[in-house]
Amino acid sequence: MAHYKILGRDPYWMNFYGLMLLTLIEVGAVGLDLSAFAESNGWTEKELTFGILWGIGIPKFIMIAAIFMHLYGDADSKILTLTALFPAFFIIVMVLFIGLTHPDAVTSLPDWCRPGNYGL
Amino acid sequence: MNDHDDHYHHIEPWGPHDWGHGAPHNSFSPFFLSLGVAVFLFAFAQAWEYGTYNPGHIPAILVGLGIIGFSMFIWWRQDISFDGSYEPLSTGTPFRKIEIRKVSVWVFLMSEMMVFTSLFSTYMRYRLGISNCNTVFERGMFDPVTNPTGWQEGVAVTCFEPASHLIASSWWHLAPGAINTFALIISSFTVVQALRYAKMPDLDHDVRTKKVFRYLASTWALAIIFLTLKMVEWFVGFYVPEIHLGPIHIHEHDIISLVNEGYTINADHYQHHSYVDHDTGAHMVADIQVSASLFYVTTGTHGAHVAGGIIGLSYMTYKAWKGLYTPLNAVSIEYFGLYWHFVDLIWVLVFPFFYLY
Repeated sequence: MAHYKILGRDPYWMNFYGLMLLTLIEVGAVGLDLSAFAESNGWTEKELTFGILWGIGIPKFIMIAAIFMHLYGDADSKILTLTALFPAFFIIVMVLFIGLTHPDAVTSLPDWCRPGNYGL
Repeated sequence: MNDHDDHYHHIEPWGPHDWGHGAPHNSFSPFFLSLGVAVFLFAFAQAWEYGTYNPGHIPAILVGLGIIGFSMFIWWRQDISFDGSYEPLSTGTPFRKIEIRKVSVWVFLMSEMMVFTSLFSTYMRYRLGISNCNTVFERGMFDPVTNPTGWQEGVAVTCFEPASHLIASSWWHLAPGAINTFALIISSFTVVQALRYAKMPDLDHDVRTKKVFRYLASTWALAIIFLTLKMVEWFVGFYVPEIHLGPIHIHEHDIISLVNEGYTINADHYQHHSYVDHDTGAHMVADIQVSASLFYVTTGTHGAHVAGGIIGLSYMTYKAWKGLYTPLNAVSIEYFGLYWHFVDLIWVLVFPFFYLY
């Protein structure tokens, strides 16, 4: 169990409050009309929403892993964090080579990087 | 404890173990459970092939479920006798002096992470690779001179209409997913609280029993709420009342389930009701072949993990109700908690990108 405090209070309660607040902001960002604010900053509303969702999703992910899953503050936290990070390489490979592959690679990329043309 | 003790107290792979004398972890249950899952999934996949229902595979499905049930029964017999007096520690680098089971849970969770990463990667591929239906629609109607990239009445365009567009279109559509998000976060908290009270060394036994039971039962109830709302969202829909509160007047249509809205796992040609040009009354016909398959597969895989958690929680809640948790054997709650937090962690990513964006 946690042997530390967050702002002088119980870390699990503080984490719980934080997660609830961030989720409220997340839902609000989607439900509210942010188009005027987005356009005044030169973005589309979609881009703004996307940024907010990422900006909130990452801290939520870290808060759950670090505090609820004890990857922070326990004697074995360091080695277990490394264990948890081990698949990061494979995750990056999958995201890059599946998620972010170019959909029109066969027809729109230059000859030299199309299948069958590697020999130039 | 020594080798003699181990042999003297009859190592029993079918349980219950004699934990007090250093029971080994020689259970056959995980192997049989894996076998049962394999038989079940193989038969389940065969039973519905290319849209054709094959009832001949039902016996194999039942055999798979039977093996799963039998393995879990054996596991239950072995765990119910666990008094925490023998928790094996790792002796080798780099996990020296860390509980072996804890490391195993982490390794298991990382393999699970790979499963979900493959689903996320595929989803990213579709979202980035195929034009969004809204974007195509907003290009406006085709005109050979002024709008050559526009869409034409009656001519299907290939575009992507993720379920999230419908879900994020109104507060009521969003409600089941949003409530589920809060339910999972609260359940993550309640399982931590159950562990906290189970581990408290100076707590009276009855107080511990009551607290641990209440928190685990709450986690169980929240998990049930999660799956119920998911079923409502997918298959049932719900009634939206007219609300008149002073200056606030809300009158929306009832929420139709995603399946009834046309978001099916094998959607082929699909005409979305919202793609109507208000000026001309023309319809943009969207040819959507992957509209909701990934949505259902990903959220369904996550839902299956919640369902698996409910099975574990049912047993743990029963064990708590019987007052069998002590500070020594509370690690079971900790290891289950890791799994449950992981389920929450995945939802933290699923919710924004499959429901909101």
